[in-house]
Amino acid sequence: MIKSFIYPIKELIKGLLTVLKNGFKEKVTLEYPEKKKILNNNFRGKIKYDKTKCIKCKICQRVCPAKGTIEINETFKINYSQCIFCANCVEFCPKGALKITKEYELATNNKNELIFNEGIN
Amino acid sequence: MMKDSNGIMTKTSEHTMQINVGPQHPSTHGVLRMLVTLSGEQIIQIEPIIGYLHRGMEKMAETRTYLQYLPIVDRVDYLSGFFCSYAYISAIENLINTDIPIKAKYIRTLTMEMNRISSHLLWLGCYLLDLGATSPLFYTFIEREKILNIFEDLTGSRMMYNYYTFGGVKRDIEKELLIRIKKFSNEFLKAVQEYEDLITNNPIFITRTKNIGILSKEDATEYSITGANLRACGIQKDLRKDSPYLIYNNLEFSVPIGTISDSHSRYIMRIKEMKESNKIINQCTDWLLSNIEDNEINTKINPLTIKPNGTSLGEVESTRGLLQCYIEANGTEFPNRIKWRTPSFYATQAINTIAKGFMLPDLMAIFGSLDIIMPEVDR
Ligand code: SF4
Ligand code: SF4
Repeated sequence: MIKSFIYPIKELIKGLLTVLKNGFKEKVTLEYPEKKKILNNNFRGKIKYDKTKCIKCKICQRVCPAKGTIEINETFKINYSQCIFCANCVEFCPKGALKITKEYELATNNKNELIFNEGIN
Repeated sequence: MMKDSNGIMTKTSEHTMQINVGPQHPSTHGVLRMLVTLSGEQIIQIEPIIGYLHRGMEKMAETRTYLQYLPIVDRVDYLSGFFCSYAYISAIENLINTDIPIKAKYIRTLTMEMNRISSHLLWLGCYLLDLGATSPLFYTFIEREKILNIFEDLTGSRMMYNYYTFGGVKRDIEKELLIRIKKFSNEFLKAVQEYEDLITNNPIFITRTKNIGILSKEDATEYSITGANLRACGIQKDLRKDSPYLIYNNLEFSVPIGTISDSHSRYIMRIKEMKESNKIINQCTDWLLSNIEDNEINTKINPLTIKPNGTSLGEVESTRGLLQCYIEANGTEFPNRIKWRTPSFYATQAINTIAKGFMLPDLMAIFGSLDIIMPEVDR
Protein backbone atom coordinates (compact mmCIF):
# COMPACT_ATOMS: atom_id res chain seq x y z
CA MET A 1 0.00 0.00 0.00
CA ILE A 2 2.67 2.47 1.09
CA LYS A 3 4.89 1.34 -1.77
CA SER A 4 2.23 2.20 -4.30
CA PHE A 5 2.26 5.76 -2.98
CA ILE A 6 6.00 6.17 -2.69
CA TYR A 7 6.86 4.89 -6.14
CA PRO A 8 4.94 7.52 -8.13
CA ILE A 9 6.20 10.30 -5.91
CA LYS A 10 9.78 9.12 -6.38
CA GLU A 11 9.33 9.10 -10.15
CA LEU A 12 7.72 12.53 -10.16
CA ILE A 13 10.60 13.96 -8.17
CA LYS A 14 13.07 12.36 -10.58
CA GLY A 15 11.24 14.05 -13.45
CA LEU A 16 11.21 17.41 -11.71
CA LEU A 17 14.93 17.18 -11.03
CA THR A 18 15.54 16.54 -14.73
CA VAL A 19 13.56 19.66 -15.56
CA LEU A 20 15.52 21.66 -13.00
CA LYS A 21 18.82 20.40 -14.37
CA ASN A 22 17.83 21.63 -17.81
CA GLY A 23 17.37 25.12 -16.44
CA PHE A 24 21.13 25.38 -15.97
CA LYS A 25 22.12 24.19 -19.41
CA GLU A 26 23.57 26.60 -21.93
CA LYS A 27 21.22 28.54 -24.15
CA VAL A 28 20.22 26.87 -27.41
CA THR A 29 17.99 29.47 -29.03
CA LEU A 30 18.84 32.55 -31.05
CA GLU A 31 17.06 35.95 -30.88
CA TYR A 32 16.28 35.73 -34.53
CA PRO A 33 15.83 39.09 -36.22
CA GLU A 34 18.67 40.63 -34.20
CA LYS A 35 21.04 37.70 -34.37
CA LYS A 36 21.27 35.50 -37.41
CA LYS A 37 22.54 32.04 -37.93
CA ILE A 38 25.86 31.55 -39.67
CA LEU A 39 25.12 29.61 -42.79
CA ASN A 40 27.26 27.12 -44.58
CA ASN A 41 28.28 27.70 -48.21
CA ASN A 42 26.09 24.79 -49.27
CA PHE A 43 22.95 26.55 -48.07
CA ARG A 44 20.33 26.72 -50.79
CA GLY A 45 18.74 30.15 -50.84
CA LYS A 46 17.65 32.52 -53.60
CA ILE A 47 19.01 31.78 -57.07
CA LYS A 48 21.18 34.46 -58.67
CA TYR A 49 21.40 34.86 -62.43
CA ASP A 50 24.38 36.16 -64.38
CA LYS A 51 23.36 37.27 -67.84
CA THR A 52 26.88 37.57 -69.18
CA LYS A 53 27.43 33.83 -68.88
CA CYS A 54 24.06 32.54 -70.07
CA ILE A 55 23.90 30.94 -73.52
CA LYS A 56 20.11 30.46 -73.55
CA CYS A 57 20.32 26.67 -73.68
CA LYS A 58 17.20 26.24 -71.53
CA ILE A 59 18.58 23.28 -69.57
CA CYS A 60 17.64 25.02 -66.33
CA GLN A 61 14.06 25.17 -67.51
CA ARG A 62 14.12 21.49 -68.39
CA VAL A 63 15.36 20.26 -65.01
CA CYS A 64 13.19 22.50 -62.84
CA PRO A 65 10.59 20.47 -60.91
CA ALA A 66 8.32 23.45 -60.26
CA LYS A 67 7.16 23.90 -63.83
CA GLY A 68 6.85 27.46 -65.00
CA THR A 69 9.28 28.87 -62.45
CA ILE A 70 11.89 29.64 -65.07
CA GLU A 71 10.74 31.07 -68.37
CA ILE A 72 13.22 31.88 -71.10
CA ASN A 73 12.07 33.82 -74.13
CA GLU A 74 13.53 37.23 -74.91
CA THR A 75 14.14 37.60 -71.21
CA PHE A 76 15.16 35.30 -68.40
CA LYS A 77 12.32 35.19 -65.90
CA ILE A 78 12.39 33.39 -62.58
CA ASN A 79 9.51 33.43 -60.14
CA TYR A 80 10.75 33.00 -56.57
CA SER A 81 7.27 32.51 -55.19
CA GLN A 82 7.09 29.21 -57.08
CA CYS A 83 10.70 28.12 -56.70
CA ILE A 84 11.27 25.30 -54.22
CA PHE A 85 15.01 26.04 -53.87
CA CYS A 86 16.13 22.60 -54.91
CA ALA A 87 19.11 23.98 -56.89
CA ASN A 88 18.65 21.54 -59.75
CA CYS A 89 19.01 24.45 -62.18
CA VAL A 90 22.28 25.55 -60.58
CA GLU A 91 23.67 22.04 -60.69
CA PHE A 92 22.93 21.45 -64.38
CA CYS A 93 23.62 24.88 -65.87
CA PRO A 94 26.53 24.16 -68.24
CA LYS A 95 27.98 27.68 -68.04
CA GLY A 96 27.62 28.40 -64.35
CA ALA A 97 25.27 31.29 -65.03
CA LEU A 98 23.14 30.43 -62.02
CA LYS A 99 24.42 30.57 -58.45
CA ILE A 100 22.86 29.86 -55.10
CA THR A 101 23.03 32.59 -52.48
CA LYS A 102 22.46 32.51 -48.75
CA GLU A 103 19.51 34.87 -48.98
CA TYR A 104 16.39 33.34 -47.44
CA GLU A 105 14.29 36.20 -46.10
CA LEU A 106 12.07 36.61 -49.12
CA ALA A 107 8.73 37.47 -47.51
CA THR A 108 7.12 40.52 -49.07
CA ASN A 109 3.78 42.28 -49.40
CA ASN A 110 4.01 42.55 -53.13
CA LYS A 111 4.03 39.36 -55.16
CA ASN A 112 5.61 41.07 -58.15
CA GLU A 113 8.76 41.76 -56.16
CA LEU A 114 9.40 38.03 -56.26
CA ILE A 115 9.56 37.89 -60.02
CA PHE A 116 12.99 38.46 -61.44
CA ASN A 117 13.06 39.42 -65.08
CA GLU A 118 16.16 40.36 -67.03
CA GLY A 119 17.08 40.54 -70.68
CA ILE A 120 19.58 38.05 -72.07
CA ASN A 121 22.64 39.24 -73.98
CA MET B 1 -29.70 8.07 -36.83
CA MET B 2 -26.02 8.12 -37.75
CA LYS B 3 -24.55 9.36 -40.98
CA ASP B 4 -21.18 8.23 -42.34
CA SER B 5 -18.92 10.15 -44.72
CA ASN B 6 -20.78 8.80 -47.77
CA GLY B 7 -24.05 10.10 -46.43
CA ILE B 8 -25.40 6.66 -45.63
CA MET B 9 -27.72 6.70 -42.65
CA THR B 10 -27.77 3.84 -40.16
CA LYS B 11 -29.98 3.44 -37.19
CA THR B 12 -28.36 3.65 -33.79
CA SER B 13 -29.61 3.87 -30.25
CA GLU B 14 -30.81 7.17 -28.81
CA HIS B 15 -27.79 7.62 -26.61
CA THR B 16 -25.11 7.87 -29.27
CA MET B 17 -23.62 11.08 -30.52
CA GLN B 18 -21.46 11.79 -33.51
CA ILE B 19 -18.62 14.29 -33.48
CA ASN B 20 -15.87 15.36 -35.80
CA VAL B 21 -12.27 15.22 -34.60
CA GLY B 22 -10.27 17.22 -37.08
CA PRO B 23 -9.47 18.07 -39.84
CA GLN B 24 -8.17 21.12 -37.98
CA HIS B 25 -7.11 19.41 -34.80
CA PRO B 26 -3.74 20.20 -33.23
CA SER B 27 -3.04 16.55 -32.44
CA THR B 28 -3.69 14.99 -35.81
CA HIS B 29 -0.22 15.99 -37.09
CA GLY B 30 -1.52 17.23 -40.36
CA VAL B 31 -5.10 17.20 -41.46
CA LEU B 32 -7.05 14.05 -40.68
CA ARG B 33 -10.76 14.02 -40.05
CA MET B 34 -12.14 11.38 -37.75
CA LEU B 35 -15.85 10.82 -37.55
CA VAL B 36 -16.28 9.48 -34.04
CA THR B 37 -19.47 7.89 -32.76
CA LEU B 38 -19.74 8.13 -29.02
CA SER B 39 -21.92 6.65 -26.36
CA GLY B 40 -21.35 8.92 -23.43
CA GLU B 41 -17.57 9.19 -23.52
CA GLN B 42 -16.96 5.76 -24.90
CA ILE B 43 -15.92 5.38 -28.52
CA ILE B 44 -18.21 3.11 -30.51
CA GLN B 45 -16.82 3.67 -33.95
CA ILE B 46 -14.22 5.78 -35.71
CA GLU B 47 -14.15 6.46 -39.38
CA PRO B 48 -10.92 8.06 -40.57
CA ILE B 49 -11.44 10.32 -43.58
CA ILE B 50 -8.27 11.11 -45.45
CA GLY B 51 -7.36 13.24 -48.45
CA TYR B 52 -7.05 16.74 -46.98
CA LEU B 53 -3.33 16.84 -47.67
CA HIS B 54 -3.42 15.28 -51.11
CA ARG B 55 -0.86 16.85 -53.43
CA GLY B 56 -0.98 14.42 -56.30
CA MET B 57 2.55 13.08 -55.86
CA GLU B 58 1.87 10.03 -58.02
CA LYS B 59 0.18 11.88 -60.86
CA MET B 60 2.85 14.57 -60.79
CA ALA B 61 5.48 11.97 -61.65
CA GLU B 62 3.85 11.21 -64.99
CA THR B 63 4.52 14.68 -66.38
CA ARG B 64 8.02 15.07 -65.00
CA THR B 65 11.33 13.50 -65.94
CA TYR B 66 13.10 11.25 -63.46
CA LEU B 67 15.43 14.08 -62.57
CA GLN B 68 12.65 16.64 -62.19
CA TYR B 69 10.76 14.33 -59.85
CA LEU B 70 13.76 13.84 -57.57
CA PRO B 71 13.42 16.99 -55.39
CA ILE B 72 9.67 16.38 -55.04
CA VAL B 73 10.18 12.92 -53.57
CA ASP B 74 11.51 14.37 -50.28
CA ARG B 75 8.07 15.82 -49.67
CA VAL B 76 6.26 12.47 -49.60
CA ASP B 77 7.19 12.29 -45.94
CA TYR B 78 8.76 15.57 -45.00
CA LEU B 79 9.99 14.40 -41.61
CA SER B 80 12.10 11.63 -43.08
CA GLY B 81 12.92 12.73 -46.59
CA PHE B 82 16.03 10.60 -46.96
CA PHE B 83 14.00 7.40 -46.83
CA CYS B 84 11.68 8.50 -49.61
CA SER B 85 14.64 9.59 -51.71
CA TYR B 86 16.30 6.26 -51.15
CA ALA B 87 13.22 4.21 -52.08
CA TYR B 88 12.79 6.14 -55.32
CA ILE B 89 16.45 6.20 -56.26
CA SER B 90 17.08 2.55 -55.47
CA ALA B 91 14.18 1.58 -57.72
CA ILE B 92 15.77 3.49 -60.58
CA GLU B 93 19.23 2.16 -59.81
CA ASN B 94 17.77 -1.34 -60.12
CA LEU B 95 16.38 -0.46 -63.53
CA ILE B 96 19.62 0.93 -64.90
CA ASN B 97 21.76 -1.73 -63.16
CA THR B 98 24.10 0.48 -61.22
CA ASP B 99 25.99 -0.44 -58.13
CA ILE B 100 26.91 2.51 -55.99
CA PRO B 101 30.38 3.04 -54.46
CA ILE B 102 30.93 1.78 -50.93
CA LYS B 103 31.47 5.25 -49.49
CA ALA B 104 28.13 6.41 -50.86
CA LYS B 105 26.53 3.41 -49.21
CA TYR B 106 27.97 4.40 -45.87
CA ILE B 107 26.92 8.03 -46.29
CA ARG B 108 23.39 6.97 -47.21
CA THR B 109 23.11 4.68 -44.19
CA LEU B 110 24.47 7.36 -41.90
CA THR B 111 22.08 10.04 -43.13
CA MET B 112 19.09 7.72 -43.03
CA GLU B 113 19.73 6.62 -39.47
CA MET B 114 20.19 10.22 -38.35
CA ASN B 115 16.95 11.00 -40.09
CA ARG B 116 15.28 8.19 -38.18
CA ILE B 117 16.41 9.72 -34.90
CA SER B 118 15.30 13.22 -35.86
CA SER B 119 11.89 11.96 -36.88
CA HIS B 120 11.46 9.91 -33.71
CA LEU B 121 12.49 12.90 -31.61
CA LEU B 122 9.82 15.05 -33.20
CA TRP B 123 7.31 12.27 -32.63
CA LEU B 124 8.33 11.96 -28.99
CA GLY B 125 8.00 15.67 -28.30
CA CYS B 126 4.67 16.00 -30.08
CA TYR B 127 3.24 12.86 -28.53
CA LEU B 128 3.95 14.14 -25.05
CA LEU B 129 2.47 17.46 -26.09
CA ASP B 130 -0.70 15.62 -27.12
CA LEU B 131 -0.81 14.10 -23.67
CA GLY B 132 -0.43 17.50 -22.05
CA ALA B 133 3.27 17.67 -21.18
CA THR B 134 5.06 20.68 -22.63
CA SER B 135 8.68 20.44 -21.46
CA PRO B 136 9.69 17.24 -23.30
CA LEU B 137 9.02 18.99 -26.61
CA PHE B 138 11.74 21.53 -25.88
CA TYR B 139 14.22 18.90 -24.73
CA THR B 140 13.73 16.69 -27.76
CA PHE B 141 14.03 19.68 -30.06
CA ILE B 142 17.46 20.50 -28.64
CA GLU B 143 18.84 17.24 -30.00
CA ARG B 144 16.77 17.38 -33.17
CA GLU B 145 18.13 20.84 -33.89
CA LYS B 146 21.68 19.47 -33.78
CA ILE B 147 20.80 16.85 -36.40
CA LEU B 148 19.04 19.36 -38.62
CA ASN B 149 22.03 21.70 -38.43
CA ILE B 150 24.28 18.87 -39.54
CA PHE B 151 21.90 18.12 -42.42
CA GLU B 152 21.82 21.76 -43.37
CA ASP B 153 25.59 21.92 -43.61
CA LEU B 154 25.77 18.68 -45.54
CA THR B 155 22.89 19.03 -47.98
CA GLY B 156 21.99 22.71 -48.02
CA SER B 157 18.53 22.36 -46.59
CA ARG B 158 17.06 21.38 -43.26
CA MET B 159 14.27 19.10 -44.42
CA MET B 160 14.05 19.00 -48.22
CA TYR B 161 17.44 17.48 -48.79
CA ASN B 162 17.70 16.63 -52.49
CA TYR B 163 21.03 15.04 -51.62
CA TYR B 164 20.99 11.57 -53.14
CA THR B 165 21.54 11.26 -56.83
CA PHE B 166 21.33 8.37 -59.26
CA GLY B 167 24.41 6.30 -58.49
CA GLY B 168 25.49 7.85 -55.22
CA VAL B 169 25.30 11.09 -53.31
CA LYS B 170 25.86 14.66 -54.50
CA ARG B 171 28.48 15.94 -52.12
CA ASP B 172 31.24 14.40 -50.07
CA ILE B 173 31.03 14.54 -46.30
CA GLU B 174 33.81 16.56 -44.71
CA LYS B 175 35.98 15.50 -41.80
CA GLU B 176 34.87 18.39 -39.63
CA LEU B 177 31.23 17.38 -40.08
CA LEU B 178 32.03 13.77 -39.22
CA ILE B 179 33.64 14.89 -35.99
CA ARG B 180 30.50 16.86 -35.19
CA ILE B 181 28.35 13.79 -35.85
CA LYS B 182 30.62 11.72 -33.65
CA LYS B 183 30.27 14.27 -30.87
CA PHE B 184 26.50 14.27 -31.28
CA SER B 185 26.27 10.50 -31.12
CA ASN B 186 28.43 10.36 -28.00
CA GLU B 187 26.18 12.81 -26.21
CA PHE B 188 22.93 11.41 -27.53
CA LEU B 189 22.62 8.48 -25.13
CA LYS B 190 22.78 10.91 -22.23
CA ALA B 191 19.89 12.85 -23.74
CA VAL B 192 17.84 9.68 -24.20
CA GLN B 193 18.49 8.82 -20.57
CA GLU B 194 17.10 12.22 -19.67
CA TYR B 195 13.90 11.61 -21.64
CA GLU B 196 13.52 8.27 -19.97
CA ASP B 197 13.96 9.78 -16.51
CA LEU B 198 11.30 12.26 -17.37
CA ILE B 199 8.79 10.08 -19.14
CA THR B 200 9.08 6.29 -18.99
CA ASN B 201 8.07 5.71 -15.37
CA ASN B 202 6.08 8.87 -14.88
CA PRO B 203 2.86 7.77 -13.15
CA ILE B 204 0.67 10.10 -15.21
CA PHE B 205 2.19 8.90 -18.45
CA ILE B 206 1.79 5.27 -17.42
CA THR B 207 -1.87 5.66 -16.47
CA ARG B 208 -2.59 7.35 -19.76
CA THR B 209 -0.79 4.85 -21.98
CA LYS B 210 -0.48 1.45 -20.33
CA ASN B 211 -3.07 -1.05 -21.63
CA ILE B 212 -4.56 1.71 -23.76
CA GLY B 213 -4.99 1.10 -27.47
CA ILE B 214 -4.01 -2.53 -27.72
CA LEU B 215 -3.22 -3.80 -31.18
CA SER B 216 -3.35 -7.58 -31.46
CA LYS B 217 -0.96 -9.59 -33.62
CA GLU B 218 -3.79 -10.75 -35.88
CA ASP B 219 -5.12 -7.25 -36.48
CA ALA B 220 -1.64 -5.93 -37.13
CA THR B 221 -0.95 -8.49 -39.83
CA GLU B 222 -4.42 -8.12 -41.27
CA TYR B 223 -4.02 -4.38 -41.65
CA SER B 224 -0.45 -4.78 -43.06
CA ILE B 225 0.96 -2.62 -40.32
CA THR B 226 4.74 -2.41 -40.37
CA GLY B 227 7.52 -0.76 -38.44
CA ALA B 228 7.67 -0.15 -34.72
CA ASN B 229 3.90 -0.58 -34.37
CA LEU B 230 4.18 -4.15 -35.62
CA ARG B 231 7.34 -4.97 -33.71
CA ALA B 232 5.67 -3.85 -30.48
CA CYS B 233 3.24 -6.79 -30.94
CA GLY B 234 6.15 -9.19 -30.87
CA ILE B 235 6.54 -9.85 -34.58
CA GLN B 236 10.13 -9.56 -35.68
CA LYS B 237 9.96 -7.89 -39.06
CA ASP B 238 12.52 -5.38 -40.16
CA LEU B 239 13.74 -5.01 -43.71
CA ARG B 240 17.19 -4.07 -42.47
CA LYS B 241 17.54 -7.58 -41.04
CA ASP B 242 15.24 -9.59 -43.34
CA SER B 243 16.78 -8.52 -46.64
CA PRO B 244 19.64 -6.16 -45.84
CA TYR B 245 20.19 -3.35 -48.31
CA LEU B 246 23.14 -0.94 -48.44
CA ILE B 247 25.63 -2.03 -45.77
CA TYR B 248 23.29 -3.23 -43.03
CA ASN B 249 24.97 -6.64 -43.35
CA ASN B 250 28.22 -5.30 -41.95
CA LEU B 251 26.69 -3.41 -39.07
CA GLU B 252 26.03 -4.55 -35.56
CA PHE B 253 22.63 -3.62 -34.28
CA SER B 254 19.57 -5.35 -32.93
CA VAL B 255 15.90 -4.89 -33.66
CA PRO B 256 13.88 -4.35 -30.48
CA ILE B 257 10.62 -6.26 -30.18
CA GLY B 258 7.90 -6.04 -27.56
CA THR B 259 5.19 -8.33 -26.25
CA ILE B 260 1.88 -6.46 -26.11
CA SER B 261 1.39 -3.54 -28.44
CA ASP B 262 -0.21 -0.86 -26.27
CA SER B 263 0.59 2.84 -26.45
CA HIS B 264 3.28 2.52 -23.79
CA SER B 265 5.13 -0.31 -25.50
CA ARG B 266 5.04 1.52 -28.81
CA TYR B 267 6.75 4.40 -27.03
CA ILE B 268 9.36 2.02 -25.58
CA MET B 269 9.99 0.57 -29.05
CA ARG B 270 10.82 3.97 -30.48
CA ILE B 271 13.12 4.89 -27.61
CA LYS B 272 15.00 1.61 -28.10
CA GLU B 273 15.11 2.14 -31.86
CA MET B 274 16.78 5.50 -31.37
CA LYS B 275 19.48 3.87 -29.27
CA GLU B 276 20.08 1.24 -31.95
CA SER B 277 20.24 3.93 -34.65
CA ASN B 278 22.82 5.70 -32.56
CA LYS B 279 24.96 2.55 -32.61
CA ILE B 280 24.73 2.46 -36.41
CA ILE B 281 25.68 6.12 -36.66
CA ASN B 282 28.71 5.44 -34.53
CA GLN B 283 29.86 2.56 -36.72
CA CYS B 284 29.30 4.52 -39.94
CA THR B 285 31.22 7.59 -38.74
CA ASP B 286 34.10 5.38 -37.63
CA TRP B 287 34.29 3.81 -41.08
CA LEU B 288 34.00 7.15 -42.85
CA LEU B 289 36.67 8.72 -40.65
CA SER B 290 39.09 5.93 -41.43
CA ASN B 291 38.33 6.16 -45.16
CA ILE B 292 38.42 9.91 -45.47
CA GLU B 293 40.72 9.86 -48.54
CA ASP B 294 38.30 7.79 -50.57
CA ASN B 295 36.78 10.29 -52.99
CA GLU B 296 34.46 8.08 -54.94
CA ILE B 297 30.95 9.06 -53.91
CA ASN B 298 28.98 8.54 -57.11
CA THR B 299 29.16 6.65 -60.36
CA LYS B 300 28.89 9.79 -62.51
CA ILE B 301 25.75 8.80 -64.36
CA ASN B 302 24.29 11.75 -66.23
CA PRO B 303 20.76 12.05 -64.81
CA LEU B 304 19.67 14.02 -67.89
CA THR B 305 20.06 11.00 -70.11
CA ILE B 306 18.55 8.15 -68.12
CA LYS B 307 15.74 6.38 -69.94
CA PRO B 308 15.04 3.17 -68.03
CA ASN B 309 12.74 0.41 -69.19
CA GLY B 310 10.79 -2.17 -67.19
CA THR B 311 9.32 -2.26 -63.73
CA SER B 312 11.05 -2.02 -60.42
CA LEU B 313 10.33 -1.80 -56.72
CA GLY B 314 12.46 0.18 -54.31
CA GLU B 315 11.94 -0.52 -50.64
CA VAL B 316 13.32 0.75 -47.40
CA GLU B 317 12.60 0.35 -43.69
CA SER B 318 11.63 3.92 -42.97
CA THR B 319 10.91 5.57 -39.64
CA ARG B 320 7.30 4.48 -39.71
CA GLY B 321 7.68 1.10 -41.38
CA LEU B 322 8.02 -0.41 -44.80
CA LEU B 323 8.15 2.24 -47.49
CA GLN B 324 7.97 1.11 -51.10
CA CYS B 325 8.15 2.88 -54.41
CA TYR B 326 6.99 1.06 -57.50
CA ILE B 327 8.08 2.40 -60.86
CA GLU B 328 6.78 1.39 -64.25
CA ALA B 329 9.13 2.78 -66.88
CA ASN B 330 8.61 2.78 -70.61
CA GLY B 331 11.97 3.65 -72.12
CA THR B 332 11.35 7.40 -72.32
CA GLU B 333 12.44 10.06 -69.86
CA PHE B 334 9.00 10.11 -68.25
CA PRO B 335 7.76 7.23 -66.06
CA ASN B 336 4.50 5.53 -66.92
CA ARG B 337 3.41 5.24 -63.33
CA ILE B 338 4.88 5.69 -59.88
CA LYS B 339 3.13 4.19 -56.88
CA TRP B 340 4.01 4.81 -53.25
CA ARG B 341 3.29 2.34 -50.49
CA THR B 342 3.48 4.33 -47.29
CA PRO B 343 3.28 2.77 -43.80
CA SER B 344 1.18 5.50 -42.17
CA PHE B 345 -1.67 4.86 -44.57
CA TYR B 346 -2.12 1.36 -43.18
CA ALA B 347 -1.82 2.48 -39.57
CA THR B 348 -4.56 5.07 -40.13
CA GLN B 349 -6.98 2.42 -41.33
CA ALA B 350 -6.46 0.39 -38.17
CA ILE B 351 -7.45 3.22 -35.85
CA ASN B 352 -11.05 1.99 -35.58
CA THR B 353 -9.98 -1.48 -34.46
CA ILE B 354 -7.47 -0.15 -31.98
CA ALA B 355 -9.40 2.68 -30.34
CA LYS B 356 -12.88 1.16 -30.23
CA GLY B 357 -14.13 0.78 -26.68
CA PHE B 358 -11.79 3.34 -25.15
CA MET B 359 -12.67 6.83 -23.95
CA LEU B 360 -12.62 9.91 -26.14
CA PRO B 361 -9.72 11.52 -24.21
CA ASP B 362 -7.72 8.35 -24.92
CA LEU B 363 -8.15 8.77 -28.65
CA MET B 364 -5.22 11.16 -29.03
CA ALA B 365 -3.06 9.03 -26.74
CA ILE B 366 -3.70 6.12 -29.09
CA PHE B 367 -3.54 8.00 -32.35
CA GLY B 368 -0.32 9.76 -31.40
CA SER B 369 1.38 6.55 -30.37
CA LEU B 370 0.96 5.10 -33.88
CA ASP B 371 3.29 7.80 -35.27
CA ILE B 372 1.08 8.66 -38.21
CA ILE B 373 2.04 11.54 -40.43
CA MET B 374 -0.50 12.87 -42.85
CA PRO B 375 1.55 13.89 -45.93
CA GLU B 376 2.61 10.29 -46.15
CA VAL B 377 -0.97 9.03 -45.96
CA ASP B 378 -2.32 11.34 -48.63
CA ARG B 379 0.87 12.01 -50.64
S1 SF4 C 1 21.00 29.89 -67.06
FE1 SF4 C 1 22.40 28.25 -67.60
S2 SF4 C 1 21.07 26.49 -68.04
FE2 SF4 C 1 19.76 28.32 -68.04
S3 SF4 C 1 19.69 28.94 -70.20
FE3 SF4 C 1 21.36 30.09 -69.25
S4 SF4 C 1 23.18 28.84 -69.61
FE4 SF4 C 1 21.43 27.51 -70.02
S1 SF4 D 1 15.93 26.01 -57.52
FE1 SF4 D 1 14.71 24.29 -58.27
S2 SF4 D 1 12.62 25.08 -58.31
FE2 SF4 D 1 13.95 26.86 -58.14
S3 SF4 D 1 14.25 27.52 -60.24
FE3 SF4 D 1 15.95 26.15 -59.76
S4 SF4 D 1 15.29 24.13 -60.44
FE4 SF4 D 1 13.45 25.43 -60.34
